[in-house]
Amino acid sequence: MRRILALVPLGDPALPDPQAATAAAAVLAVQHGVAAEALLVGRPDQVEAGLRDAAREGAAALHAVAHAGLGDPPAAEHVLHLAEAALEALPGPALVVLPAGAAGEELAARLAARLDGVPLGRCAAVAMDGLRLTARRATHGGRAEAVLATEARLVLAVMRRPPAAPAPIAAPAIRRSVSDMPLPAMPAVEVGPGAPGQPRRLEGARVVVSGGRGIGGAEGFARLDEIAALIGGATGASLPAVDAGWAGVSQQVGQSGAFVAPELYLAVGMSGTPQHLAGIALHSRIVAINPDPEADIFRVAELGVVAPWQEVLPRLIAALRDPAPDDTKDNERRRTP
Amino acid sequence: MQVVALLAGVVDPKWRLERLGLHGAGGLVEEAGLPRRFSPFDEATLETALKLRDADPALRCTAVVVGGPASDGLLRAAMALRPHRAFRFDTTGLPVWDPRAAATLLAGAVAAAGGTPGLVLLGREFGDLDDGVLPALLAEREGWHFCGQAHAVTRAPDGWQARRMRGPREELLRLPSPALVSVTNDRGNRLRHPLMKNVMLAKREPLEVVAPAAPDLPQELAAQALAAVPPPSRGSGACRIAAGPLDAQVAELAGYLRAWRIGGAPG
Repeated sequence: MRRILALVPLGDPALPDPQAATAAAAVLAVQHGVAAEALLVGRPDQVEAGLRDAAREGAAALHAVAHAGLGDPPAAEHVLHLAEAALEALPGPALVVLPAGAAGEELAARLAARLDGVPLGRCAAVAMDGLRLTARRATHGGRAEAVLATEARLVLAVMRRPPAAPAPIAAPAIRRSVSDMPLPAMPAVEVGPGAPGQPRRLEGARVVVSGGRGIGGAEGFARLDEIAALIGGATGASLPAVDAGWAGVSQQVGQSGAFVAPELYLAVGMSGTPQHLAGIALHSRIVAINPDPEADIFRVAELGVVAPWQEVLPRLIAALRDPAPDDTKDNERRRTP
Repeated sequence: MQVVALLAGVVDPKWRLERLGLHGAGGLVEEAGLPRRFSPFDEATLETALKLRDADPALRCTAVVVGGPASDGLLRAAMALRPHRAFRFDTTGLPVWDPRAAATLLAGAVAAAGGTPGLVLLGREFGDLDDGVLPALLAEREGWHFCGQAHAVTRAPDGWQARRMRGPREELLRLPSPALVSVTNDRGNRLRHPLMKNVMLAKREPLEVVAPAAPDLPQELAAQALAAVPPPSRGSGACRIAAGPLDAQVAELAGYLRAWRIGGAPG
């Protein structure tokens, strides 16, 4: 049987949920009757919290590689360097699971090239029978699925957090290594100043307020930002809206953008294409505002308002600003020690 | 110095995929009769290459459409934007679903552009079968400097400058040549419209098609199936449409949203 190991890069802002890889590996390990392992790469000050999190996510054998020379955030090249060295020493066939997201996908691809592994991409499911590994992954913008099989010694898959949480491990086996391996010199990365009114992060938001092509301009997105602020949510956008420049690249939700798992997703001026819906967790409840009663978004929404956003959003903002009796009571409760 | 823009194209998302499948012993992708178009990432890639050419007349811009004869329409669309050279790199009958095989083919496509490229650009997802693996894989395989998901690329004295969003922050990376940058869609790289005279010219011009030299492709990954899938079921499938005057509908919606603001879900 092949070992199942999560590779967890710590401290990368592009990976808001690095332990998703551990959770995915742990669920696979339970299904295949093996112990899940996790390899954590980070600065010394990040490792202990990372180990605790990995045990909570179901990894039974943990290996932490700490390097004081890693930056904040770490350069991809440096994480690659340390992970490559650790994985090279791995005996036997392995499935390495990395967290979904641009940084995880880049790391998986580059490690595959360096270690002669097979990169599978972003997998929805993986099954193993002895050495034979079968993976299912989305193609054609999430409208189709490919089933791929391999018996390669090293296979790398990127996976999202599974819907069901794995059982935590109370006393995992832990190995700590402090690496002093020379890290390759990297040109400095300039970090731009945070834009004023930088949108709140989509990942982890309980509520996402999202706009599509039907919003028609930046003015509508300003309204969506207002609503998001009023209900404590983050603002998202469809690919055409980002394309048009009404929202930033980091706000893009969908097969080609961020995967979000809010409790509530307010979709405004969106038709509801499969490519967009592929970026929203199945458990998220969708509420839609669209003037077209035949729009596909209403097939998946729980509540819908059939009207142009120009008529709905100003009224909605006014209504949300007006404290409801329940809100007042709630605020009073919060203020009372 | 040369900039090579690799363009994949995708099946037009407006078309249903019932005819999609695999055929042949090598598990070749069957998309017969499905119309193709540039993806937003292809368009961003091509526009970025054209912008670099516009800014520096010394740069040579080559557009390479990777695919079978069904992509000839895309090649003509690229030709209408007048890169210095445009050709189709024929991948008919090749297992483009295998990332390692596809990276080998793309390296061949870049080589077919001639000379050592200063910069290779391609979409952050290359076509319908890639979900972001290919750009990094190709860069690593060829030993090129890499930046993923850039939304703007400019010339720098010693190479290139790429801007990208990494989590909540914008990064500016300096990359020496040769470099590979995967491009994401953004307001600043929306594909320009071609001049009508250039569209007419591109319709009349002969197409250049380059066949890959018999590549030694890795064969450790097998495609067992490729098929359209129905969208996953979500919700109850019964959307409650708010009724009554608009103010009443908005009041209902506001009440629903307030439940989340104060921490609970509506019953």
